[in-house]
Amino acid sequence: MSDLILGVGDFAATRTAGIQVKTFALGSCVAVMLLDPATRTVGMVHVALPDSAINAQKSREKPGYFADTGIPALLNIMAGYGCTGNGRGMIVKLAGGASIMDDNETFNIGKRNQAAIKNILRAQGLEVVAEDLGENYSRTVSISVDTGQVTIFCPGRGQWHI
Amino acid sequence: MAQSKGKEDILRAIREAPLLSPNTSLLLQKTSEPDHDLQDVIRIVKFDSVLTARLLRIVNSAAFSTVHPITSVDRAVAYLGEKMVVGAALADSVSRLFLKPLSGYEGGRGELWRHDLFTALAAREIVRTSRSALSADLAFTGGLLHDIGKAILSDFLHDTSRVAVAGIENGELVDYLAAEQESAGLTHAEVGHELAKHWKLPASLQEVILHHHHPGQAGESVRALVYAVHLGDIVAMMAGCGTGSDTMQYHLDVGYERYFDLTPDALALVLVAVQEEFVKAEEAFALA
Repeated sequence: MSDLILGVGDFAATRTAGIQVKTFALGSCVAVMLLDPATRTVGMVHVALPDSAINAQKSREKPGYFADTGIPALLNIMAGYGCTGNGRGMIVKLAGGASIMDDNETFNIGKRNQAAIKNILRAQGLEVVAEDLGENYSRTVSISVDTGQVTIFCPGRGQWHI
Repeated sequence: MAQSKGKEDILRAIREAPLLSPNTSLLLQKTSEPDHDLQDVIRIVKFDSVLTARLLRIVNSAAFSTVHPITSVDRAVAYLGEKMVVGAALADSVSRLFLKPLSGYEGGRGELWRHDLFTALAAREIVRTSRSALSADLAFTGGLLHDIGKAILSDFLHDTSRVAVAGIENGELVDYLAAEQESAGLTHAEVGHELAKHWKLPASLQEVILHHHHPGQAGESVRALVYAVHLGDIVAMMAGCGTGSDTMQYHLDVGYERYFDLTPDALALVLVAVQEEFVKAEEAFALA
C-alpha cells in the first residue's frame, strides 16, 4: 500500500493500516496532524498561509492552503470517517513554521502560521500534544497511521520523532 | 595547501563544465539589453530547430491548454513570453547541471532546477512591487541561474553538511556561505560567478550570481535586479523549494526596502501567485 503524499495546501484523512501520511519540505508552512483514537483515523493539512482573507478565490479552490479554512476542511473530511466534526477527543501534532535567519516582520510567515493555527485550535478546544515548530530549517514530515508517531527529516540534521 | 589544491580542482571543474549553446548565449545576451523586443527573441529561436521544437511542445502541452494547436514560432513565443523561451533554452543547454543531485548539500536530483525555477518565478513576481522600472524577465533569468555554482561546488563539499549546519547553529559560522568557504575555499556564489565568466554571460547576470546573498555589494546600476533575485531565493526556501542542507541558512539583506514596497500581505500574494505558476511551469518544462 502506498503512502499518502500531500502537496502544498492539500489535506487528507485515512485509516488505512500500514501507511504514512507525508508532506515534503515544509519551510514556513505548517503540517497540522489530527489523530482520532476512537476511529483510528489520521488526518493532515499542509497550511501555507494564516488567513484566507488575502485571496478568497484561492481558499475556495484549495481550502487547505490557509489555516482558517484548512483546519475546518480537515475536520470535515474526518467527520466522514466517523470522527466528531468538532475534533473533540483528537490528538493534535504540529510541525513546520520555520523562519528565515533574521527577524523581519514581512518575512515572518512561519510565525504567523503558527499563531493562526494555535488560535484556531484553541477556539476549537483542541490541545496540541506534540510540536516541532519554528527555528530556521525546512522539515519533511510523515505520520504513521498505525502508531500516530510523527517522523521529521531535515537534510544536514537527520531524522527524529515527536 | 589542501584548500588551494581544492580551489584548483574547482576551477578546473568550471572549465570542464558543459558550455551553453551558441543560441542560448545569444538569447541571454539579447534579453539582457534594455531596448530589445520580442522580435529579437523570435529571430534567435527561428535559427534553433531544437529550441523551436521544445517551445512548440511546451505551448501545446496540457499545462497551457490552448484552444487550437500553435504551430508557428512567432505565436509560440508571443504566447509563452520571453521567460519561458529563456527557461527552455537554458534547460536544453545545461540540463545536466540543473538536474545533478547535490550530494554535498544532501539534495536530490532535480532539486536545483526546482529551486531555481521557483526563485525565477518569485523574483519576477517581486519585480511587481519595485519602486522603479525593472525588467521582470531579466529577474526571471537571474533567478534561474543564481545558484548554478552549487552544481559544481557540491562535488567538492563531500560530507560536510552536518558540520556546516552545526557550525551555523552554534554561531561559529555566520551562514552557509561561510561553511562553503571553510570546507572548499570558495562559496557557491563565487563558483557560479567563475562559471558565468566562463560562459561569457552578460555583466548584469554575472553580478546577480556573485552577489545574490549580499545584493548591497552589487553595482548600483544592477542592485535592484540582484535584490529581486535575493528575495526570490528566500521566498523559494520559505516555500520548501530549497537545495538541501543549506535551505534557510542565509541572511536576509534588508536593504531591499529601498527598492521594493513589499508588505506582509504583498509577500503572501507573491507566494500564492508563484506556487500556482510553479506547478504549471514545472509541468511545461518537464525537466525534473
